[in-house]
Amino acid sequence: MSTTTAARTAAAAPVRHGGVRLPLAPWLLILPSLLLAFAIIGYPFYQIVFLSVSDVSRFGLVRGFAGLANFTTIFTDSIFLGALLRTAEWTIGVVAGTLAISIPIALVLRQDFYGRGVARTIIMLPWAISLAMAAIVWLWSFNADYGMINATLRELGLMHGSVQWMAQAQTAFPAEIAVGIIVSIPFTTTILLGGLSSIPGDIYEAAAIDGARPWHCFRHLTLPLLGPFINIAVVLNVIHVFNSFPIIWVMTQGGPDNSTHILVTYLYELSFRLGRPGQASAVSLAMLAIVLAFTIVYMRLRRNEAIQ
Amino acid sequence: MKLSRKSLLACAAALALSVAGARAASAETVHVTVSYYSAATGPYFEKMAAEFHKANPGTDIKIDVVNWDSLLQQLRTDIAGGTNPDISIIGTRWLLDFVKDDIAEPLDGYMDSAFKARFISPFLQHATIDGKVYGLPIAASARALYYNKDMLTKAGFPNGPATWDDVVAASEKLKAAGTPGFGLMAKGTEVDVYYYYALWSYGGDVIDSHNKAAFDSPAGVRALTLYKSLVDKGLTQPGVTNYTREDLQNLFKQGRVGMVMTAPFLINQIAKEAPKLDYGIVPVPKGTTSSTYAVTDSVVMFKNSKVKQAAWKFLDFLFTKEPRVEFTKGEGFLPTTVAEAQDPYFTDNARLKTFVDLLPTAHFAPTITGWEDTAKAVTDAVQSVYIGQAQPEAALKQAAARADESLGK
Repeated sequence: MSTTTAARTAAAAPVRHGGVRLPLAPWLLILPSLLLAFAIIGYPFYQIVFLSVSDVSRFGLVRGFAGLANFTTIFTDSIFLGALLRTAEWTIGVVAGTLAISIPIALVLRQDFYGRGVARTIIMLPWAISLAMAAIVWLWSFNADYGMINATLRELGLMHGSVQWMAQAQTAFPAEIAVGIIVSIPFTTTILLGGLSSIPGDIYEAAAIDGARPWHCFRHLTLPLLGPFINIAVVLNVIHVFNSFPIIWVMTQGGPDNSTHILVTYLYELSFRLGRPGQASAVSLAMLAIVLAFTIVYMRLRRNEAIQ
Repeated sequence: MKLSRKSLLACAAALALSVAGARAASAETVHVTVSYYSAATGPYFEKMAAEFHKANPGTDIKIDVVNWDSLLQQLRTDIAGGTNPDISIIGTRWLLDFVKDDIAEPLDGYMDSAFKARFISPFLQHATIDGKVYGLPIAASARALYYNKDMLTKAGFPNGPATWDDVVAASEKLKAAGTPGFGLMAKGTEVDVYYYYALWSYGGDVIDSHNKAAFDSPAGVRALTLYKSLVDKGLTQPGVTNYTREDLQNLFKQGRVGMVMTAPFLINQIAKEAPKLDYGIVPVPKGTTSSTYAVTDSVVMFKNSKVKQAAWKFLDFLFTKEPRVEFTKGEGFLPTTVAEAQDPYFTDNARLKTFVDLLPTAHFAPTITGWEDTAKAVTDAVQSVYIGQAQPEAALKQAAARADESLGK
């Protein structure tokens, strides 16, 4: 989104300098929506900035100006720093895992085979379930006493007894990442399928004539042509996964001993469990800065790559 | 065309009616937020609202049932937005925050000594801050140990454990028989409280008289070391950090754990879901002393309410004998007023009586700001010890330092 608007303004700028009259009508026409967008995004943003530099009571009543106290508190808070690191693990784990699984799925689903419609529907179905519901179902599945995961592993003879999946971070956090991957697959596969359908078939025929193996075709044709779509999938997934709250909150609430907290669950706990809206606002501004920085840096890198 | 005109007319008529209805109601509407204790909560308050409305046609009571977990959050949002109800149920331990921000109305001006005498006095005392009553105790519960009679009889304690040594001895026998003995919860809310049971039984306390954290005392270390040794010896259910209070109660209902400490409401749940389970209730096991935890929830009136007199009238009605008995029975709580405590339902019920008898030695969660932060610090500490990341003493010391940052502020 941001790139397209940026591109547009960049394209419009020379025209303006060239002395051509600024087209007023389009701006007037989109003014109401601009104002609306500004109100919807701007007001909460202003509120968060305001709260983050205020001394706020547990009920959100502003008691006074606090300067940067909220920020220094959270940046010296070991739980925040742990959550920051874990957010990186969580985001990279889920996004990389999702891509690694979605690309082969998209390649398979592009093939013409009997029952492809059904297969595509099955892949898309998890999308229809709300994230919180999916997390609850997975929590049950990971239940140590009567969950299907332990039961399946026992049936297969892979283990005896039962694993207490959610009892410690070593098992709980990977399990949460796995659930994160599963729920992200439908969206990512959709984007990639769209990308694949835009690649013309004849270049593969040409490559085959030149003696390219399927792996070569994938490595040198499919992957580069899929590049822009993978970019979009990465950026959208990173933003979404970075801010994804329900899975971890439902499954472990960031526990035990804060060992599965990511920033967004910690933010929620600060604000609504511990009643510190000021610090919570500071955390959410930090999150905004991180996502923004990531998006800008990533877009730059990829653009440079494309130019080369 | 005709049809649509007709429906339009009908719509207009309905609109007019509803406007008229709103006018009549706008004479006085009292908005009440109650917490969801069980499936019976909503219907109970709706019934009370209807009865009250019958006696006072000029006053409408609007009941809003909110899940306990999101109650404080919703009230915070409402208060910040100025759209809060006129009266609400809150956890008594939150009260100080309400008073500090000048949100709660002091109730002394509304009640005479006869009204005050309706309550079992420690409960009302608990909701009193700086000599002023801000909340009326509407729900009370205490904690005791439930034990599975079949299992504990086989383990040699047919009358349940009396001390922590008994708990250990019984759990060892049960472990040999292949079932976990002592149920230990370490996930979700009240992880801290489960630890306080043992802390208090060794004579320790959570907070000292100077409002500083005191749970890192030798008693506290001893209590946590005891729990940790139970975990290490395999005398609890495996994976304690995976079990919330509800999970533990479910294990107990299914006869998969020998002992569990919880509130009286489990009696109602067992009666409904596992009527064949043979169980007994004894006080929290003794360490060096005997004690339990008591919790109350209170009704507060908000200072910005415009219908205080009507709201008070409704409260007055709620705290008469019949409504109280019906509420407390339905939810499985303990009586908070003298009159309801004399109802045969409470005097003739041996299991409930165990709880009622415990009240004189009960500890309340202190009304102090920063209690939730303390709960969080202690929960983290206990969990880190159970999963083997920290030693009891070091973890408690660290938690005490964290708690002191927020206590009283």
